[in-house]
Amino acid sequence: MTELSDELLVAYVDGQLARKQTRAIDKVLEQDDVLEARVTALKHAHARLEAAFEAILAGEEAEISQATVLPPDDGFWVPWRTFKIAAASAGIVLALAFAALGYGWPVSLPGLGSSPAADIGPVPGTDAAPSTGSAQRAGPAPQVELEVLPEPRPGP
Amino acid sequence: MQAKDFHDSVRPGLIAMLPRLKRFADVLGGGRDAGGGLLRRALQYMLAEQHLYQRGTALDVWAFSEVYRQWRHELSGQADPMAQAKIDDAAFAALFDIDGEGHRDEPVIAFLMGLPPQQRLTLLLVYGEGFEHEDAGRILDVSSEMIAARLIRMSASLSDRLSERPPAQAAAIVETLYPEWHRASP
Repeated sequence: MTELSDELLVAYVDGQLARKQTRAIDKVLEQDDVLEARVTALKHAHARLEAAFEAILAGEEAEISQATVLPPDDGFWVPWRTFKIAAASAGIVLALAFAALGYGWPVSLPGLGSSPAADIGPVPGTDAAPSTGSAQRAGPAPQVELEVLPEPRPGP
Repeated sequence: MQAKDFHDSVRPGLIAMLPRLKRFADVLGGGRDAGGGLLRRALQYMLAEQHLYQRGTALDVWAFSEVYRQWRHELSGQADPMAQAKIDDAAFAALFDIDGEGHRDEPVIAFLMGLPPQQRLTLLLVYGEGFEHEDAGRILDVSSEMIAARLIRMSASLSDRLSERPPAQAAAIVETLYPEWHRASP
């Protein structure tokens, strides 16, 4: 049986030895079952230590991600990006609504909403209703009675 | 280098390594509550004094050493530092619970529980964090030879405990103080 100290074996297991030393120990381990069992036990102990520390880290990561992702109990949680998009959309809708109320846009634009004739009303001197536009679509045009004044006679 | 560069380099780095720092503080403090408080105070100090961090040095080595320094500073202010360093067994064992599920390696937990904080941290830094002996020594303010010596002692002890070989009794340990020929004689 070859005598190798725990100091050397732990350094071997931890990969702290030079390449030549590692090869030398590899050769010794091939021939010595007792030393091989000792090295296996050391590796096993290290693996279980690493697993135990990994378990702590997994717990910490879960705790931290839970603390940062979960919404508060009261109310509801909206992502900041969604809130910005919703606020921008609401602003555009409000601006259009104010434009429509204040300036009559887009109703006042020609070709949109109603015809200019409908906006202006019937042409004086005629009893014909406009042939196009919303007035016609809405139903029969209202009858307008016009007072036709007699033309002034030219004086003598 | 501008102050803003300091801020941008230290703060995000600390945030990124929060789980690792929390594990370090928990193992040092002996539980989640003690570790959380210790880490909070250490982080406050680090952010306030981040100009002490020198670029080019590893941020994790600096941060771990600051947490350890904070622990030592608080311990030195106690009337009985040794008593303060003792940990609550249940709180320490709870560190290894993952959502109350999974297998807990009780022999390893019991082994770690019986170690002094500095030795627990040595195992964590080398086998949990993968630090080189020099960096682990820098964090714990000891030489790399001291780190290696601790690792040899603890690795041998843990492997003995985990192996099927029964632990040596106290009387047997005393007997080994004498040479073989002396014990054999009547």
